[in-house]
Amino acid sequence: MANTKKYWKGLEQLDKDSTFVESSNSEFAEQLPVTEFLGNKEDLEDASTTRRDFLKYLGFGVAAASLAACETPVTKAIPYLNKPEEITPGLANYYASTYFDGNDYAPILVKTREGRPIHIVGNKESVLTKGSINARVNSSVLSLYDNNRLKAPSISGEETTWATIDNRLGKELAGAKSVRVLTGSVMSSSYNSAIHSFLNPSIENFNAAGDPIGSEVTTIGKHIVADAISYSGILEANKESFGKAVIPTYNFEKAKTIVSVGADFMGNWLDALQYVNDYTQTRKPGNDWMSKTFQFEASMSLTGTNADVRVPVKPSEYGAIISSLYAHLGGSGGVKTAYDAKVKEAAEALKASKGESIVVCGSNDKNVQVLVNAINELLGNYGKTVDVNIVSNSKQGLDSEVAALIEDMNAGKVDALLIQGIDPVFTMGTAFATAMKKVKTTVSFATKMDDTAAACLYICPSNHALESWSDAVPVTGHYSLGQPTISPLFDTRQTEASLLKWSGNETSYHDYIKAYCEAHIFPQSGAVMFTDFWNKTLHDGVAVVSTKATESTPFAGNVSKAVAAVKAIKANGIELELVQNMGIGAGVGADNPWLQEMPDPITKITWDNYVTMSPSEMKDAGYEIHFGQEHEMNVLEVTANGNTIQLPVVAQPGQAKGTIGIALGYGKKVGNQEELTGANAYPLVTKTKTGLSYYASGVTAENVELDEPYFIACTQTQQTVMGRSSVIRETTFDTYKKGDRADFNPKFTLLSGETDAHGHQKAKELKEFDLWGDQPVKVIGHRWGMSIDMNSCTGCSACVTSCVSENNIAVIGKDQVRRGRIMHWMRIDRYYSSEHQPLGDVGATHDKTKEALDVNGISAYTAMEDPADNPSVVHQPMMCQHCNHAGCETVCPVAATTHSNEGLNMMTYNRCIGTRYCANNCAYKVRRFNWFNYIAYSKFTDINPSQDDMARMVLNPDVVVRSRGVMEKCSLCVQRIQEGKLDAKKAGAKVQDGAIQTACSSACPTNAITFGDHNDEDSQLAAERESDRSYRVIEEVGQDGNVYYQTKVRNLNA
Amino acid sequence: MHKEAAIREPLILGSPTYSDISNDVLHSIENKPTQLWKILMIIATIAALWGLGCITYLLGVGIGTWGLNNTVGWAWDITNFVWWVGIGHAGTLISAVLLLFRQKWRMAINRPAEAMTIFAVFMAGMFPMIHMGRVWMAYWVMPIPNQFGSLWVNFNSPLLWDVFAISTYLSVSLVFWYIGLIPDFGTIRDRATRPVQKLMYGLLSFGWTGNAKAWQRFEEVSLVLAGLATPLVFSVHSIVSMDFATSVIPGWHTTIFPPYFVAGAVFSGFAMVQTLMLIVRKAMRLEHYVTIKHIEYMNIVIIVTGSIVGVAYLTELFISYYSGVEYESYAFINRLSGPYWWSYAIMMTCNVVSPHLFWSKKLRTNLSFTFVMSIVVNIGMWFERFVIIVTSVHRDYLPSSWSMFYPTWVDIGVFIGTLGIFSVFYLLFLKYFPVLAFNEVKSILKSSGEQYKNMTDEEFKALHPVLKKDIK
Repeated sequence: MANTKKYWKGLEQLDKDSTFVESSNSEFAEQLPVTEFLGNKEDLEDASTTRRDFLKYLGFGVAAASLAACETPVTKAIPYLNKPEEITPGLANYYASTYFDGNDYAPILVKTREGRPIHIVGNKESVLTKGSINARVNSSVLSLYDNNRLKAPSISGEETTWATIDNRLGKELAGAKSVRVLTGSVMSSSYNSAIHSFLNPSIENFNAAGDPIGSEVTTIGKHIVADAISYSGILEANKESFGKAVIPTYNFEKAKTIVSVGADFMGNWLDALQYVNDYTQTRKPGNDWMSKTFQFEASMSLTGTNADVRVPVKPSEYGAIISSLYAHLGGSGGVKTAYDAKVKEAAEALKASKGESIVVCGSNDKNVQVLVNAINELLGNYGKTVDVNIVSNSKQGLDSEVAALIEDMNAGKVDALLIQGIDPVFTMGTAFATAMKKVKTTVSFATKMDDTAAACLYICPSNHALESWSDAVPVTGHYSLGQPTISPLFDTRQTEASLLKWSGNETSYHDYIKAYCEAHIFPQSGAVMFTDFWNKTLHDGVAVVSTKATESTPFAGNVSKAVAAVKAIKANGIELELVQNMGIGAGVGADNPWLQEMPDPITKITWDNYVTMSPSEMKDAGYEIHFGQEHEMNVLEVTANGNTIQLPVVAQPGQAKGTIGIALGYGKKVGNQEELTGANAYPLVTKTKTGLSYYASGVTAENVELDEPYFIACTQTQQTVMGRSSVIRETTFDTYKKGDRADFNPKFTLLSGETDAHGHQKAKELKEFDLWGDQPVKVIGHRWGMSIDMNSCTGCSACVTSCVSENNIAVIGKDQVRRGRIMHWMRIDRYYSSEHQPLGDVGATHDKTKEALDVNGISAYTAMEDPADNPSVVHQPMMCQHCNHAGCETVCPVAATTHSNEGLNMMTYNRCIGTRYCANNCAYKVRRFNWFNYIAYSKFTDINPSQDDMARMVLNPDVVVRSRGVMEKCSLCVQRIQEGKLDAKKAGAKVQDGAIQTACSSACPTNAITFGDHNDEDSQLAAERESDRSYRVIEEVGQDGNVYYQTKVRNLNA
Repeated sequence: MHKEAAIREPLILGSPTYSDISNDVLHSIENKPTQLWKILMIIATIAALWGLGCITYLLGVGIGTWGLNNTVGWAWDITNFVWWVGIGHAGTLISAVLLLFRQKWRMAINRPAEAMTIFAVFMAGMFPMIHMGRVWMAYWVMPIPNQFGSLWVNFNSPLLWDVFAISTYLSVSLVFWYIGLIPDFGTIRDRATRPVQKLMYGLLSFGWTGNAKAWQRFEEVSLVLAGLATPLVFSVHSIVSMDFATSVIPGWHTTIFPPYFVAGAVFSGFAMVQTLMLIVRKAMRLEHYVTIKHIEYMNIVIIVTGSIVGVAYLTELFISYYSGVEYESYAFINRLSGPYWWSYAIMMTCNVVSPHLFWSKKLRTNLSFTFVMSIVVNIGMWFERFVIIVTSVHRDYLPSSWSMFYPTWVDIGVFIGTLGIFSVFYLLFLKYFPVLAFNEVKSILKSSGEQYKNMTDEEFKALHPVLKKDIK
């Protein structure tokens, strides 16, 4: 409606005054004094605005107008209207939470900036994990901002609203008689109870684990647990041995001898995150004793690379080895294997440390696990290093139950199937997919479209873990809470809330957890006030509530039956072992670009899975065994259990002969990439009557010719250290214990020219010959540095992704990684020993190398380039060494890289013109160049998450995103140093040792990386620097780095 | 005027008169371009445009279009840079050092050699620019007072020394070359018939009068500039070599680099002069002025410098063994036996073995053979730089970072482009500039010209009444 009100300009208008009417008709209401002004020549001449001035004003006006027009567009930063109390722009908040993806459990701290979670570190408050995380945990923050997440619920692929879903599904479920809830392992007791009350809303009483009280409760269905990687064998074995299907807890901290047969307990086996820190506590050569690890395995695992003794065996022989070990320990009826000497050695070591040893096995065969139990029982390890009464809840899936589910589905006995946390169509393949077709109502709670969700009628997308409330009872008596750190980004709802809603419970899941905690957890905690307990647990993230264990039962395994069953294991032909790698795990990391780009700790390959094979067998077959940008790989067609996949084959030194290995979890679509990375190996899993078996025998692997060459993106193409003992220093425990540093970590000396009494030249330490002056800050102020203990480093690469997350490192994709341009500021160098140059004792290295050179001349060097068939392996984290006499600093023509007065080698991106001279002159090759504009160039749009508006939210606002043509490198997390200094300044105190942690040191599960101030003589860093194991990589070049390494000590017989 | 000993071979063959010399040299300027010139120009232009296209693409997209990686930060770019700088060495050596040593044979070749120098230095100078990640900031390498705070260049950096060395060399060479051109431009101006031509050459000749005073000043300036330019011949490549010698990379960190690089530069420079002169003398019918003797002299320089280079290679190899430094010795073992052994073999064959074929007089006076050899030497010298740069850095201290370098089409395109641009410049020079310093050549006609050398004293004196009087 038009506005008809009239406003007067004044009384004159109201009165219709004639002068007003007249003037209102002319353009200017008042007479302009133009004629007077121009007519009066004198005034005009007196006027201060001369022609020159006029031109000046005109010029200024034009310039100002065009300048104003040129102004960059204003991006609005809107201040808080009401600032949340806890948020100060520019300061990070940390929230304790819990990570559990069905495989890895870790209490975490989530770093948020201005309300956005941007970084994840381990929660050191946890007595279980002691802050251990792996790369999958800290990379999960990127998945939160994945633009390919499911953004709204849908029915048959049509987007819909939650109200419609609730309505329609409510009706369908009401009519359902037989419902199955299929989930991964459920650690959360409140979730468990929510599932049960969904299946029968009338249940009101639950126990602390979330199971309904009362043995026979009628429900409309069942809750079935299936793990992506099944540990059914252990569960079943423990059921037989101890009457309960549980995963035991292991105390590696007390284990002096560890024998592992195919169990990657430092990497992906069971609760590796709970073991790895404990394990490295036994690897301190300064202590009286050091643990000794025997690893029998087919494919090289992370544990295999760290073991003192590694024996390559076929996966079908795992049982036989356990059985033989049992026999050597005095058990009955063992079989003899080809590895008897090594098994005997292991048995002797075990005998010497009864009650202080652990025997584990990666086999999923119940009978093998019964024997493992028998061995641990024989050694008296139960109750000491292995506990079946304090149990882990991380793996609960029984293969038999899953098989029964598929049978029921096929028989049409299932009306509705709700799937959360796992992707059974991906992991179980067509068997599950066809069975699903028989189910009327299928519901997926996936966060991202996966094979199972695609086959489901209803998709009710769940929140990302960082948007959800959760709780967990990972291990008997341990409780942890997970809290959301951001509101749901999309129209999603966490599974627990959906289930509560559908069971008619209108409380929010937060209230539900809280009530559940008050009813079941709090009473065991011994705390007085629930609010206090709740607040403290929420703050700390973890709580130890009760150490009350279940009643212990004596070992009752049927050993003779197990021995017989193990004896009956038959295998033929090539054997295939299916493994998990550190980046992708069971598949959880497959859609995460950070994890895809993280070089595998062992092969250093990115963006692919592949067939691993022994190099000598590959040589015989005529396959390409070397890596490189232009090395065309052979592609094998691997057939096992009737299924065939095609994958490139790569040489894996240490792979048992006659076996091949393939990593599971690949073959999903990644990010917004159209291209698949790797192939799905789950169909190759052997399905027997008793369960799944992660190896297959009688496998065929045929070379196939592709139309296009196949390349591999490997970040380390040279596999051995070429006898360079100032790069890697290693020794044995015996040599170390003798205490003569010259034997294992000799200092560099040069002859000085001065002679001693005998006329010999005196040797002096390198620094005496230094051309350069001493560092001016040697004793003044701070001098930041690092110490890296190669004895603690397992190579897991959590630090690599942590660094990516902290420092906004660009993801560049397979093609660019293949071209040797990975942007990672820190890498983990992995070296294999060669036949001519065994890693190990420093002195021995030289002798053997020299011997080889004497015999073979120059060709010995070429031979040294190839790793040994069963090499010893060493992991060496490598990043900018912050040299005090840095090669890079002197050569930059524009002084873009300079030394700070705190010992840091700094990089000024804005000043860099990109000559790359510094990178050439860096002896450690740690500098990274921005070859392209990774944050804008269209070639990387689908690869680099930073080009995505959503994923860009994960960027750390404290670290600038580098543009094209500039050099970058490790800054020792200078932003954290500055923050730490400011905190100390505010507190009016000195910077406390350990208060500042770099991204890598905070991520390290084994505390292998120590960051600190060299000038603080009481710091841990200073102590480590002065230790007898301390050395600097290629110290003799004289760059005087601030990063020290601790000699690796293996527990070998010298 | 002195008369050269009869034993010395004449430097000008036949019996050209002063005016014949002018006519021979200025033939190309005063006539329409030949078919050959046009064809070569088209080929060169295509190559140049292709190169410019590659450079545009490089600058538009990033250094990643080259084949470099985290380990090998320099490859074809700096190889080409050093190669072109090396080529740019012969010109100044010929014009300055040989002038100081009063080597009169230089007069036939100094102009084209200097032109080659200047164009080669243009090409060389382009690489340090385009190899930068942010070429638009290239002016930051100049010590220019600025408002970025107290930012200043880093005088420790050999790359900065390069900036000074090369810009100084280029400016001195350019001035020297131009000063030499002035009298010749004067002659062209005087002979020009078309007004535009007259005007252009008039401007270029700076009002050259050709009187005795002008000639005297000309000679003095030339001598002074020769004095100035001589140290530059040695400094430029010494400083370029310091890019490597001052680093810590085994195979780069070599103290003999400065003399070794200078010798190598002269070696490759003379080879390039040979390549160009053999074509030019034939195509422009200058065989009377650029004689077999000239070619032979240059071949002798190639033997000498090639031998110096060979000694340097072997010294390097020996020292790497003798030093006992693990990394140093491996760097050379890797050159011999590593994945780039073939480039080391090419370098050794082309630079160390092949020049010694010139000990045979028959071979060194054979034009076709010389032409082939000049190409061989330049290939060898390109590989020398490639070997030094790539095979040192691709396997340095930490084996984990060892890597290979594979050139992309942009790497190759840019190199071909510089050959094209160089050729375009050179062809323009041949067409529009006096290709020989003919006024200088005239000055040796009577002392070193064949017809005069063959005269008896009487005949010679008969031609020169002034001399006759003096003798009386």
